[in-house]
Amino acid sequence: MAGRRSCVILGGGVAAYSAANTLRSTGFDGPVTLVSAEPIPPYDRTALSKGFLQGRQTVEEILFKPAEHYEGLGIELRLGHRVTAVAVDRRELTLETGERVPFDALLIVTGAEPVRLHLPGFDLDGVHYLRSLTDAQALGHDLARAERVLVVGAGFIGAEVAASARALGKQVTLVDPLPVPLAGPLGQEMGSILAEVHRRQGVDLRLGRRVAQLRGHRRVEQALLDDGELVTCDVVVTGVGVRPTVGVFEGSGLAIENGILVDEHGATSLPGIYAAGDVTNWWHPVIGRRMRVEHFDNAVQQGEAAARAIAGDPRPYAPVPYFWSDQYDVNLQYVGYPGPWDQVILRGDPTVPSVTAFYLRQQVVEAVVTINRPRELRLGRRLVEARARVDPATLADLSTDLRTLAQAARPTA
Amino acid sequence: MAAPEGFVAVKRYEDIPEGAIVPFEVEGDERILVKLNGNLYALGGICTHEYAELAEGDLEDSILYCPLHGSGFDVQTGRVTSLPATQPLPVYDLRVVDGIVYVAREPR
Repeated sequence: MAGRRSCVILGGGVAAYSAANTLRSTGFDGPVTLVSAEPIPPYDRTALSKGFLQGRQTVEEILFKPAEHYEGLGIELRLGHRVTAVAVDRRELTLETGERVPFDALLIVTGAEPVRLHLPGFDLDGVHYLRSLTDAQALGHDLARAERVLVVGAGFIGAEVAASARALGKQVTLVDPLPVPLAGPLGQEMGSILAEVHRRQGVDLRLGRRVAQLRGHRRVEQALLDDGELVTCDVVVTGVGVRPTVGVFEGSGLAIENGILVDEHGATSLPGIYAAGDVTNWWHPVIGRRMRVEHFDNAVQQGEAAARAIAGDPRPYAPVPYFWSDQYDVNLQYVGYPGPWDQVILRGDPTVPSVTAFYLRQQVVEAVVTINRPRELRLGRRLVEARARVDPATLADLSTDLRTLAQAARPTA
Repeated sequence: MAAPEGFVAVKRYEDIPEGAIVPFEVEGDERILVKLNGNLYALGGICTHEYAELAEGDLEDSILYCPLHGSGFDVQTGRVTSLPATQPLPVYDLRVVDGIVYVAREPR
């Protein structure tokens, strides 16, 4: 079925890793080449803001597998290569070196890149973004010499970097324009709980504030906030979101709209060209809308789904999204669909914190977030998968056994 | 009696309750024994995703769930059944001789 078509995987994150494995395990026997701008084989980016930045993990430890693994699969690694052009009609990529790489099937797993702030002073030394190993190494180098760290943006990356910097004994100021960080994805209640966690860990929070400019002579020395406050800092880390890495495909004929548009098999608008992971804006067949997900599990599973489709054994990808974030001793996990919801039910103790939040829309559990209650996540996942309709009061009642509730859950559709 | 070649004695069989996850060490390497429907399995004791002791995890329908991020592993094969772990858990051969559980030093 698969014949001897060739496949090029373009990217070096976990979607590339899972796609490489899946192509071979589903019997794709043609030549496979993995082209990545990264200098090392696919690695776990989620470690960069946590264990790797804190010096608890080495480069070898964040690789999914060493280079020999790909050799064993008969997959050629082309590392440290940027693609400068793509000709979809001739079915070939052009590398920075001018070399052309032909393909029958192409899987785009280029991920996303940090949104850059073009404000005065953001070009000074000591100003960092965090996405790649190189970014993390440069940041780690500066952090080792720093005393005061300013983190711009209290989203997941910003919050994790703030936690890592505190773990390294740095003074940390965290600035975010929202009065409650993460209020969008997690709601006011859980956002406030997380803000309190950072406060208790000694982070100086500046909420409802923006950085107007950075100042310094060559290196950053101060940040001017929009209320006139000056914050002393020798390192700045900016985490204000990402955008899909689609640059080389713009104008190629590929349909792009807030990411590469793909269907439930990872197929793009052009035959033989697939995409997976953070770079995609994908159609979820169960909830009937498009979404963009910037998380690990999605990259793994969508990479797998696209590889299956390329190998000729497609299965629709219709997951319940999941992600986690670890900050200090706080373990947060999210399972479910993004909002909107009309009610948030908390279970547990927000002050410890040890709390689970259920996000309901018309009493249907759309998402569940646990903070330091990982066991409830699995039960929560069942409620979400079942599109369970629940009584909010029963859910909030700690004497209600979630296990029973999850078992009783009946699909509403 | 002496341990079979390549195996080490770790527990008495009768000390492992049904449905339990029992931690043990082989030369500092943390591992677990799992007894399920009367069958015994020996696996790595630390989640392959991030450091977490699987002895603190949950067993459900022959899947072992990590207590930290909920990664799932098939107790018979070590295969990952749910993310975020991407690497299987090592599985060790074991033998029960005269009521003593012996576990292989090296993974299967």
